[in-house]
Amino acid sequence: MVKKIFIVIILGFFAVMLLPLAKDFTPFQELSPVAEKYVEDGPEELGSANLVTSVIVTYRGLDTLGEVAVLFIAAAGVGFFLRKEEKGDKTPKRGSSQILQSGTAFLFPLILAFGVYIFLHGHLTPGGGFQGGVVIASGMVLLLLSSASAKINENVLHLVESLSGASYVAIGILGLVLATGFLDNRFLDLGEFGTLLSAGAIPLIYSFIGLKVGAELVGIVNNMQKDQS
Amino acid sequence: MVNPIYIFILALGAGFLLTLFDKAGRKVSLTIFYAVLAAMVAISAQWLIALLGGSETAMIFTAGFKPPFSINLQMGLEEAIFTLAVNMLGLLSGLYLIKKFNATKVNAMVLFLMMIMGINGLIMTRDMFNLFVFMEITSIATFAMIGIDRDIKTLSAGFKYMIASGIASVLFLIGTIYLYRFSGMLHIDSMAVALDMASSQATLLAVFILLMAIVIELKPFPANGWALDVYEAVDSGVVAVIAAGSSAGMLFALYKITPLLNETLLLTVAGIGITTFVASNLMGLMQKNAKRLLGYSSIGQIGLVAGVFAMLVYLGYPINGKMVMLIAGGLFINHFVAKAGLFWLAGILNKENTEDWGALRKKPIYLFAFGAFILALVGLPPFPSFFAKWQMVMIFAKDNQFLVIAFILLGTLLEAVYLFRWLGKILESEVKEKIKVSFAQGLPVIVATLAVLGLGIYSATIVPGAGSLNIFYLPLLLIAALFVLDFLPVWVKNTLVILLMGFYTWQLLPGLEGYRFLFGVIFLVGGVILLIPGYAFKGKRVGFYPFAVMMYTGLAGLLIAENTLQFFTAWELMTLGSYFLIIRGKKAKPHALSYMLFSLGGAYAMLSGLGLFFSVNGNNLDLALLSSITESTSIIYILLVIGFLTKLASMGLHIWLPGAHGEAETDVSPMVSAILLKAGMFGLVVVMSAIQNPMIGNVSINYVLSWLGAITVFGGNLMAIYQEDAKRLLAYSSVGNLGYVLFGLTLMTHLGWLTSITYALNHFLFKALLFLAIGGVVWRVKTKNMYEMGGLIKRMPISFISVLIGIIALSGVPPLSGFAGKWLTYNVLIEKGWVLQGVVLIIGGLIAFLYCFRLIHTIFLGQLKDNHRKVKEAPLPILIPQVIFMFAIMFFSAYPNMVLRPVGDFLIKYFPQGAINWQNGVAFTAFGHWDGLGVLMITGVVFMAVFGWLLLTNRKTQKVGQFNIVYAAERPSRPELTHVGYNFFAHYRKALGVLSKPYAEKFWDGLSELFHSTADFIRKLYTGNGQTYLVHIIVFILVVYAFAMGG
Amino acid sequence: MTLITILGLVLIMIGLWGMLTQKNIIKIIIGFSIMDTGVHLIMVSIGYLKDRTAPIIDSAVDQANAVNTVVDPIPSALVLTAIVIGLAVTALMLSYAIKLYEKKGTLDINEFKELKW
Repeated sequence: MVKKIFIVIILGFFAVMLLPLAKDFTPFQELSPVAEKYVEDGPEELGSANLVTSVIVTYRGLDTLGEVAVLFIAAAGVGFFLRKEEKGDKTPKRGSSQILQSGTAFLFPLILAFGVYIFLHGHLTPGGGFQGGVVIASGMVLLLLSSASAKINENVLHLVESLSGASYVAIGILGLVLATGFLDNRFLDLGEFGTLLSAGAIPLIYSFIGLKVGAELVGIVNNMQKDQS
Repeated sequence: MVNPIYIFILALGAGFLLTLFDKAGRKVSLTIFYAVLAAMVAISAQWLIALLGGSETAMIFTAGFKPPFSINLQMGLEEAIFTLAVNMLGLLSGLYLIKKFNATKVNAMVLFLMMIMGINGLIMTRDMFNLFVFMEITSIATFAMIGIDRDIKTLSAGFKYMIASGIASVLFLIGTIYLYRFSGMLHIDSMAVALDMASSQATLLAVFILLMAIVIELKPFPANGWALDVYEAVDSGVVAVIAAGSSAGMLFALYKITPLLNETLLLTVAGIGITTFVASNLMGLMQKNAKRLLGYSSIGQIGLVAGVFAMLVYLGYPINGKMVMLIAGGLFINHFVAKAGLFWLAGILNKENTEDWGALRKKPIYLFAFGAFILALVGLPPFPSFFAKWQMVMIFAKDNQFLVIAFILLGTLLEAVYLFRWLGKILESEVKEKIKVSFAQGLPVIVATLAVLGLGIYSATIVPGAGSLNIFYLPLLLIAALFVLDFLPVWVKNTLVILLMGFYTWQLLPGLEGYRFLFGVIFLVGGVILLIPGYAFKGKRVGFYPFAVMMYTGLAGLLIAENTLQFFTAWELMTLGSYFLIIRGKKAKPHALSYMLFSLGGAYAMLSGLGLFFSVNGNNLDLALLSSITESTSIIYILLVIGFLTKLASMGLHIWLPGAHGEAETDVSPMVSAILLKAGMFGLVVVMSAIQNPMIGNVSINYVLSWLGAITVFGGNLMAIYQEDAKRLLAYSSVGNLGYVLFGLTLMTHLGWLTSITYALNHFLFKALLFLAIGGVVWRVKTKNMYEMGGLIKRMPISFISVLIGIIALSGVPPLSGFAGKWLTYNVLIEKGWVLQGVVLIIGGLIAFLYCFRLIHTIFLGQLKDNHRKVKEAPLPILIPQVIFMFAIMFFSAYPNMVLRPVGDFLIKYFPQGAINWQNGVAFTAFGHWDGLGVLMITGVVFMAVFGWLLLTNRKTQKVGQFNIVYAAERPSRPELTHVGYNFFAHYRKALGVLSKPYAEKFWDGLSELFHSTADFIRKLYTGNGQTYLVHIIVFILVVYAFAMGG
Repeated sequence: MTLITILGLVLIMIGLWGMLTQKNIIKIIIGFSIMDTGVHLIMVSIGYLKDRTAPIIDSAVDQANAVNTVVDPIPSALVLTAIVIGLAVTALMLSYAIKLYEKKGTLDINEFKELKW
């Protein structure tokens, strides 16, 4: 009890310390200078309708590559962490309900298609590689949940993950070699603004990100559930 | 030139594909893994070379837009140095881990690559949010890499780490997004320009929060329990990267955001860093677990680097200027290499307890490496931290930051305590088992050793005043050669060293003037003579000659030092060399430790004094200016004198001496006693001749020191009479003898100095003689306890004569040279009118008779022990120098004017009045005259007459058999009691009571106990509970906030 | 938009409270996630401009006047990265929890005090 009171007190102080962040702070009335440039010149420069996408994929592309790396590390880390120590006896999994099984059978292809749609249209509509990848992974998770016998082919998973990651880096190098800098999307034709095949390499990059994120998240979930079996 | 962005491309590309390559076999993936690490090294090395050659700092704009519109990377000199260090660390640690990589999933290699890449990113990026991304890449890869072992300790340590790091990243994000809000950009350099700190409380708060995120990652005291757990539990190869590499990245992050910090925040970082340094090293005192101990040391060192860096920036030194590079950079790289090396060693030995590291003794190369790392951490020459520390003290003193200096030196001293204790433990432990070192694990350690040495030499060339350090080049080369040639037999090395040192002496001596010449004779001629006993040793005597030469290098360096840097370097080289000589003695380890600690403490006092001197003389290193300073004279004087008094072993600072001199090897004892002690005296002569009669208020410091000298004479001699151990007796006697020297100097008159200097020469002769003679006896009879000897006059006649002459010279009775000293002393006392001190001195002199008597009586007279009936005279190499010294004493006694006159002549420069008049070898003072040769002859005639008379009258004496105990009155209960010499002066102990108690030991023991118990109390903070650590972090932030922002 | 900012701060406090008081490691991880979410909210609130729309140039947004009609795209981009990183950390924390539970059969954080002082 004393401990909890103590914690209340220090959290109280902590809150007081942080308070100016909310209090002494007036919201933006207009865009920051950097954002202003992105909004003004972004569409012409990069050809992406979704400005968040142009920031993510190109202006701050290195962040995004890092972000992919983080997810990759997490997937590799979980896989490494939960590697088998010794062969334990497996407790049989309980089968899932009929509703889940039928629902999955119906929804799985739709979810997959939706995920692909999201990352392909990342430069036009809200969404992108990460979001698409997560949707795809959610479909796969559903599959894992619905069937006790469902197994993910890890080789395929690794292949997708590795190749899409490497392709992303390769596209980055192409930007460095063919255009003006690493991860520059403009080495491909910017195309007609607002169409699917526009914005240079952005859809390509987002597709690889989508595949990679999907594969990694599936890998994480797969490793965790494998360990518990 | 290869674009540095390829460092990331290579690491990421290989990382992504490594799983696939692994399908083709582990060899393929391993090859690619190492190839990528090597390529990363090559890229940063190539940039470092180009940048050192004058290339411009490279800016890499990603996506082709200039900042602040896109993320950019920078490759400047600092980045090149840091990335090269980190990538080398990655390659070597990767090699070190090869066995584990082979045995586990390919993911380990991937994670390792990501970890190293993340650190590279932390260093190169110039974008605030990108910094966050790389921080997380590094952390997350580390979290996963920790799982290379999955025992319960590692797991719980890793989890605590994740919680702490989670808080740090949350704070970082809040700080970053608000800074973006207030400045409108994320590019760090533009942000610093655009940000108006004074605009609102929230701006400052955002900077503060961001700073705290980085500070937490730098493991400040006390919010660092999690880090200690990680250091203790995680695999050595990984933890080397965490301790050295990740810290490097975070330090670089701090370096990058420094332009955002205002003065208060800079001071805050300085305060946190230095507090952490002191607190960690304090707690390290109680630590027995090797890796946790290294953890305490790491945390401390990182705190030191951060604190010193912030302090320098606060004082206005440009952030990428030479001073910051030399001091903070030097301290950092020193820690980086040494700590990585030590963690690798910890993994090779695989012993948790620091006391079980003795197996290192079987591997001289790794023992050498360990020693080098330890010395580097403590900051002794020739390592980078030595020069960094030197320059730091000079700079801080210039800016009057004496409190900072004091704390840093205190922390360093605490660190020295546990590191040298550790080294001593290794050197004394019995080796039971062997260790096997694989090539992959050994190579990194060896590279680190070479690197730390190489960096030290490099630092020596860039420190201000570096040019003057060339006086040490040749000797250091010789030392290095001796390390390499250590496999040769002892006689070869001994001859080589005698020849080279003889040649050096011959070159050097004629150039020395005044008292320097005299000290040159003691240091170098004496040094050569005292190397002769080395021939008595068999085998290789590994590790003796390099350090002996190092000690003499230091001594010679003192003589020719013209600036304070040379002087201090020489001083530390001498200390270091002598430490390793002393520690060779079988039971000398604890004493060598206390010798080292007192020496370091003294050296730090001296260093502070030199720093103050630097600041008041217009930032000049020239030693000659010591006589012309006008400010802070007394404080400089006191600080320097304290430094020299620790070497001189004055009462209170003497407790290291008896053990260190008593337990040292046969030829080391005379070296350290007869020669090394004079280094302290030399220092006193330098200071006192420059600063005459300093005062504190109305009190003359020299008057106080004269009392210290008198008490030292009394106390040293008194303790000498109680010793059963012959060499300790001599050691205590040295304490007393050097008291005379101190006393003589403090008189600050012509006669006083003449006495003191000639007495020093005299002490050199008789103490070398006595230590050699007694050492020779001990060599033969294998014990130092006098009650186990007796009657050795018949077996060892030459040693007997040596001791006889030695004690006559020592006790200051006619006809030998000691008398000259006494006679002059009394002259001076009368001249100065210091009657009370005189009384103490006379009593002290009388006490000297007691132990002198005991020395010759117990060892050489009386009855021969049964087991000594067949002992031989001491080995010839030990006798030869004795004969030399005997002749020297006789000569000096007969012709004192040969020494006194030239000494008196140059003393006129300092003390024009009160000189001695000489008439044909007879000395005249205001109070009388003394004719050395005459006295010798008269005494000789009297002696012969008495001796002849005794021979004549004692012809008919009846001899009693050895075991005839008819005259004995009591039955001995212990073997010692059968010897008349045992506890010979017990009655004096009773009579003198309170004066005989070891107050100094009690004081220092109490102080040590106080430190240890405080350490034990504080470290209880680290309960091991992850939640408690989180509370520490939050409370830490609140407290810092209250300090820095005024609540 | 200070309301969302305050909400974010409140979430951070709730998360911290959970991390400091809950004994169960899973609950501590949940606390961390809540705290993380609070930070994300704050980040989004920073980029928000009143009465403006999403920064996507389509039929609803006139490109020429976009500067005056869309919100700041940068915080949105940053928050995406932050979320992914938070997810990665959470995933690793959970695998730690799995392993810790395997070793000791408990998730009480007070049980994992092997290392101290």
